[in-house]
Amino acid sequence: MKRRLWSGLVGVVVALAVGALIMLAQGYKPLSTYVALFQFSLGGIGPFTTTLKNSVPLVLTGLSAAVAFASGPVNLGQPGQFVFGALAATLGGLYIRLPAVLEIPLLLLLAIAGGALWSSIAAFLRRAFEMSEFIVTLMLNMIADFFTAWVIAFPLMDRKAFSPMTPQIAKSGWMPDLGLLSSSTLVMLGAVVLVWFVFHRWRAGYEWRMTGQNSVFARLGGCDIHRNFLAVMLVTGALAGLAGGLVVMAGPHRFIKGLGANYAWDGIMIAIMANNSIVGTLVYGVFIAAIQTGALGMELITNVPSEIAQVLQAVLVLIIVATREYTNVLLDRLSARRQAKERAA
Amino acid sequence: MNVLIGLITGMISGATPILLAALGGTFTFYAGVFNIAMEGMMLMAAFFAVLGSFFFHSWVIGLAFGVLGSLTLALIFILFSVKLETDEFVTGIALNLFALGITTYFLRQIFKVKGVFTSKSIVPVPQLHIPFIEKIPFVGPVLSGRNLIVYIAVIATVFCYYLIFKTRFGLRLRAAGYNADSLDSSGVRTSRIRMQALLLCALFCGLGGAFLSLGYVTLFAENMTAGRGWISLAAIILVDGHPYGIAAISLLFGFFDGLGLFLQNYGVASQFTAMIPYIATLFALYVYAQRRREKKRKRV
Repeated sequence: MKRRLWSGLVGVVVALAVGALIMLAQGYKPLSTYVALFQFSLGGIGPFTTTLKNSVPLVLTGLSAAVAFASGPVNLGQPGQFVFGALAATLGGLYIRLPAVLEIPLLLLLAIAGGALWSSIAAFLRRAFEMSEFIVTLMLNMIADFFTAWVIAFPLMDRKAFSPMTPQIAKSGWMPDLGLLSSSTLVMLGAVVLVWFVFHRWRAGYEWRMTGQNSVFARLGGCDIHRNFLAVMLVTGALAGLAGGLVVMAGPHRFIKGLGANYAWDGIMIAIMANNSIVGTLVYGVFIAAIQTGALGMELITNVPSEIAQVLQAVLVLIIVATREYTNVLLDRLSARRQAKERAA
Repeated sequence: MNVLIGLITGMISGATPILLAALGGTFTFYAGVFNIAMEGMMLMAAFFAVLGSFFFHSWVIGLAFGVLGSLTLALIFILFSVKLETDEFVTGIALNLFALGITTYFLRQIFKVKGVFTSKSIVPVPQLHIPFIEKIPFVGPVLSGRNLIVYIAVIATVFCYYLIFKTRFGLRLRAAGYNADSLDSSGVRTSRIRMQALLLCALFCGLGGAFLSLGYVTLFAENMTAGRGWISLAAIILVDGHPYGIAAISLLFGFFDGLGLFLQNYGVASQFTAMIPYIATLFALYVYAQRRREKKRKRV
């Protein structure tokens, strides 16, 4: 635990230093840029709650990836499951009108179902035809992307809009703001707690983790690994779908072009940085959200284009993971040397 | 007749980037590197090819810049996965996102645009007109007048086959993937072979990416590779890395790519025609999985 914390911190510092070098090479001042970056994302209650709100899609898709990777399935379909969740919530919000107490849970459930539906296709193809979910989910991402692009450009297009988007969903389906805090943040935190509980305290979660670490052991121990595979795919699809639904309900309240952005891929990176740990995903998710949120403010006062955030993120992932794994290599080498010395003596 | 020629030439241009990226990927496939960074390598090449061509008004420099761009990514890959022993899957995913980030960033920083950069100053790679063959009806317009990189890709296919299966380097390359320990113990450093495989992969992905931005179209668009690197990975897996098989599969994908553009003329929504290559990939994976299952059953 302590080792993980240290290697994470070292990774963050090194990555920020590399980012500073990139900025220096282009004649920007790294220090004031970083100050601006974190002032706009973490400096105060207002910026911080905005960061939390922006972290919702990142943390939820990150959770989806973390649970999948830790349990075995290489589900890289979060982008597709995300837009299908968003689409399902939008459809519900457009055609079903209920009071907010019912509408919001209903739309969230629809988003969950939408994401799970899309991931179930990959699960089915794996189960029935032994098609590896790795490339299948990637291809399904592209198909989902084009399909939703078609839906918002033709059948559901808002005739008054200039670019492809749906009309707004029913007002009762909007995620309300609780003071400064967005209620979508609460949903996210709830999901984190629930997933942590299932993953670490329930039998199902234990079986998933065992299967992820050693599927032969899990099967011999009596786990139904096929059923677990399906369950993990559905749960991870549901999490990504929930992320999509929340973005629609808390953000533009409609499905607009480019809604998914890079959220899901960022989520996958966050899971990798966190080494598939649930709490780690939350921490890194908020951290990445801080960089993304701060980047917009930073652009206003320092001329550094906000796109630097994307570069910084990729550098962060590489360096955090490399630091972690290289620390292990170094420690192994040290202990090997010590053992060799003891033998010699 | 013209429709048929159009379909075939569309198929060839659609196939070329996938063929080149997949040929590059075969080297890492045989060397036992789980390389999924083809997408990022192509994207880097597509961007830097436009950059070179725009500033130096020369497609030769454009091509060189494109290849350098993708080689840079390969060097980072080597630094992390070979030198620092970072997980290859993680490195690949991070590098793909790095390529997306850095090209988007530079697009904004250098060309001051978001989304798409196009200019009359970008010099595309020329088409090659072959004398005599050009004049033959039907065959002429198909074989002649293609982009220079298309011809390079054809030669590269044969070259890759020769290099992998007929040379000492190829033997070592395959040994690195098949049994790294025995290669190491015979005095050849596996890590060096893997580095060479990654650099070769970057070279071919570089050509493929440059073809996208200086041949297929003459512009750079954000994330313009659009999953072609992933399709090329699927192509490699489908034929177990055989260069001629890859050529056949690439032509098939090129056909669906061209078919999509063709169907758009008949009023099919572009979003659906754009899906076709990905659906085709799924179908190909289905066939592959069935064949593998059959084999397994026979063995038992």
